[in-house]
Formats: sequence, C-alpha cells, structure tokens
Amino acid sequence: MLNLQDGSVHANPYRMLWVGVGCATLTVLLCSCSAELPVLREAQQADGGEQATQYSIVCVIHGDGDYLYHDSSGNEYNADEVALAEAQRVALRNPHAEVFIFHQRPRSHFLFFFPLRDGTFYYYRNGRPNAEELYWRDQEQAPFDTEVGLYRRFSAGNQPGKVSLFLYFGHEIPEFDGAGYDASYPDRPLTVQGFARGVGGFRDDSSKFDIVVLSTCFGGTPYTIGALGTAARYIVASPDNLHLSYLDLRSLERMDLGFRDVDVHTFARRYARLAFDILKGQILTTVSVAVYDVDRVQKFLRAFLSVYEYTLNSVKSARQASMAAIEHCDCADLPSVVLPAMSDGVDVFYRPPRFGRAKEKQHHSGWECWRERDPIIGRKPQFDEFKGAVETFYRP
Amino acid sequence: MSPNTKKGTTMTTRLAFGLVVMMSVLVLPAHAGGKTELQQYFSNAADKVKATEDPVAKRAILNESLQSMAKALDIVETSTPISDAEAAGLQRFRNSLQEKQDELAGRNGFAAVPDAQLNAFSQYVVQDMEQADQMVTISIVTLLLIVIILILIL
Repeated sequence: MLNLQDGSVHANPYRMLWVGVGCATLTVLLCSCSAELPVLREAQQADGGEQATQYSIVCVIHGDGDYLYHDSSGNEYNADEVALAEAQRVALRNPHAEVFIFHQRPRSHFLFFFPLRDGTFYYYRNGRPNAEELYWRDQEQAPFDTEVGLYRRFSAGNQPGKVSLFLYFGHEIPEFDGAGYDASYPDRPLTVQGFARGVGGFRDDSSKFDIVVLSTCFGGTPYTIGALGTAARYIVASPDNLHLSYLDLRSLERMDLGFRDVDVHTFARRYARLAFDILKGQILTTVSVAVYDVDRVQKFLRAFLSVYEYTLNSVKSARQASMAAIEHCDCADLPSVVLPAMSDGVDVFYRPPRFGRAKEKQHHSGWECWRERDPIIGRKPQFDEFKGAVETFYRP
Repeated sequence: MSPNTKKGTTMTTRLAFGLVVMMSVLVLPAHAGGKTELQQYFSNAADKVKATEDPVAKRAILNESLQSMAKALDIVETSTPISDAEAAGLQRFRNSLQEKQDELAGRNGFAAVPDAQLNAFSQYVVQDMEQADQMVTISIVTLLLIVIILILIL
C-alpha cells in the first residue's frame, strides 16, 4: 500500500485530506439544512434538583457589527464578548433566577460557501448552565422572533411576584429607517417601534418587564421611552452617547441580596448609579445613565411626544443627507421645549466629557432630542427643507 | 505514479491552499468593515502619545493623526462616487476631527489642551471614535478605501 517508489506515500495523505474536507463539508451541509434547532448541550434540565425561580433575566447581545474598543493601555476588547462574559457571570451567581442569553453573532460561512448558525442561546437556571443552542437568525420575520420561540420553550413561566428584567446591548436603535443596523442582514431594518414590539413578544401575558436596560447610545429619547414603555415598568438607558464598554452588570449578581428590602424602583436606581460610577472611572467621554419610571413620565410624553413624532416624520421625508445638518442634544437645551413635567419620573446620573464642546455642561435632563448643528466650525446646513422641521420641533 | 503526476498533485494542492489563504486575506478585512482599522489607527496614535515625553512631540503626533485622517476623507470624497447619506456621514466624521484639531490647538473658541492632559486627550479621541455614530452611514467599501488611502499617505 505504501509504495515508496511511485510516490503514493505523498498522494494518499492528500487524497485523505480531500476526503476529510468532503466529509466535513457534507456534515456542515446536512446540519445547515436541518429544520430543527440542534441542542448542542442540554444537561441538568430534568434532574429534579431545580427550584422555583424568583427572578427572570432576558439578555440580548447584538454582536453583529463593529463593537471593538480599547482600554487606556491599548488592549482590544470586543464589546459583545465582554457583555456575554458578564451576563454569564450574572447567570452563575443567581441561584434563584433563570437567565436567557442570546448572542447575535455575525453571519459566517464554512469554506466561504456553507452558512453557519449565527446565534447562540444560553439558558441558566438556579445558577447552573442548563442548555446551550446554536440558532439561525436569517429566518426572522420581525425582531426577536427566534429568540422569543426559544424563550417560550425554556421559560419556567411568569409566577406572581417574579421580578423580570430585559437587557439589550448594541448600537443606537434608530427611531426611523433602521436599514443596515444588522451588518449581516442590512436589508432587515431595526427601529425603536420594531424593537419595542420584539421586547413585548417575550411577555405572552401582556404584562411588562419590571426593568428594561437599554445599553445603547441615545436610548433616552422621548420616542424610545414612549415606545418601550409598552413593555417595561422602569427603563434604564443612556440618553447621550454610551461608550462600548456598556452599562456594567455587576450589581445584578446576587439579585436575591440586591432586592432585599427594596422595591423595583430603588433597585433600578442602585443599578444605574453603580453602572454610572464604573463608567465614570473609565471613560473620558460623556457618561449619562437615567432611570425612567414609565408611569410617571407619561405626563411629559403626552405633552411632548406628538411634536417629537411630527419632527421624526419630517426627518423621514427629508433626504438622507440632511442627517448631516442635525445632531442629538439634551432636550433641555432647546428652551422652548422645557416643560414643567420634564423631570418627573426621571433620575439622571450625568458627567460631562472631559474634552470637547460639552465639557462645561453640568446637567442633563435625561431626555435626548434633535437639533440643527451649530455652524460654528464652518459647517453649512445642506438642505433648507429640513430647517422647517427643526423649527417646528423647537416650538411645540 | 510518475514524477510528473506527483508534481501535478503537489502543485494542485499548493494552488488550492494558496487560493484559500488568498481568499482569507481578502475576505477577512472586508468582513471587519474597515471600522476596526480606523479605531486601531487612533489607538496606535494614543499609544505613541503616551510613550512620548515631550509635549510638543505629543501634540505633533495627535495633530498629524487627525490631519492624515481628514486628508484621507477628502481624497475618498473627491475621487469616488458616494451617496448623499455617505457624504453626510463623511461630513460628520470630518467635523468631529476638525473639532479635535481645534481643541488641541486652542482655536475656534476652544482653550488649548494643557500639556499635562495630552495623554488623556489622546485617550478621549480613541473613546470618542469608538462610540461615534458618524461612521454608521459610511459603507464598508468607503471605509476600506479610507483605510487604504491612510496607509498610502502615512
């Protein structure tokens, strides 16, 4: 068999290599065509040692796009991987909780042609890993379709008194358009409205999550809070820019201790405070974390939201390039927008950036709006038609 | 198997291996989308600033890194057809760079960054770019072009 004279000792390993590649390809193809979600690891699910859970945490980590950041020593981190590790630590350190973690990864291919599953689901219960599955993201008709299906398959149910949290880590969720949010599926838009509906989908009994944590830039717009208020009692979000190191999760470890003798609002406030303090110690750009009491902010939203929505509609109808002429700003910086009820139901933790034009700004209302860009450094608004919309927004 | 056949098999394998390596090299940066390289560019500049003692040299490194990036944006914008949305994205990016240059030099209403704060300022530039939303509307192709031009002009 091993004929050293004719060189088949060289040819055989190559043949074996190609056969191996062929087998691997066939395996991937067969797995790719499977209609069912394959359970890669499902253990301890029915070992009889499970206890009732008092806390439920759903964590969606959008890792499809550019989420790289550096620390002060120049070390690189992928924000989604750091968030995943933190969420898993939270899951392991909560003996009375069930934790659902969905990691949305970039679409990838085996040998450039054969698609691989691009979502990973982790389920923890009573502080132990219970299941781990890969899933497809390409079949989703609406945001979180697949994730909701997995949630319902594993959820222990919504018992009375169970505290529920939803956490989202990703880029700013657009208030309109939303195409290109997902780098792997640029034609699949994600907007605030779609996102809010997706979050609501996890609650099959039309109840709300006790706390929704939005770890994204510009999560504190009236439109975002108004939309997400249909699915949350309290919302923790960053009204301004948020660095990719995100809102820290440490205070969610041992929720049984964290919730001892405190209500949901106090817990949300403590969580926001700690996340703010940690960001403040690491980040030189703006740090803003706010807690929105959804019931109490309704008065402000009722007075303001229709004007804000009108502005959004005007922006939508304007050409894309007009986006260069507008920027986010604190709603309180638009004098005619300041309403008496603006601060009701909002706890704000804010520290200005150490450099830049905003470094002298000492307070933030917790509400983020749009305004025309300051032309002080030579910028020229390019589209006059947009001006009308902004002025309307200035005078509700 | 004749020596020619053996040679042919080896060549085919080498060719296949070479193609796989080439495709990896070409596809991976495209997948990264260029933003990673841009962030790395500012991070490298910050590392150089921190490793330098002389404040004048620190300032020069920062100014050069911002200026080169602005120049790359100009070249891309004038030499390639881009959409209105992309032009808007590039404009916002350029504005952001201009503000940082102004603050570094103390122009346009900014007080100049003190010498003792240049390391912190370099880190601020890195962090601001990492959270910047101005690059969202810039396509992968344009970002890659910026990276290539940046490499060429440095």
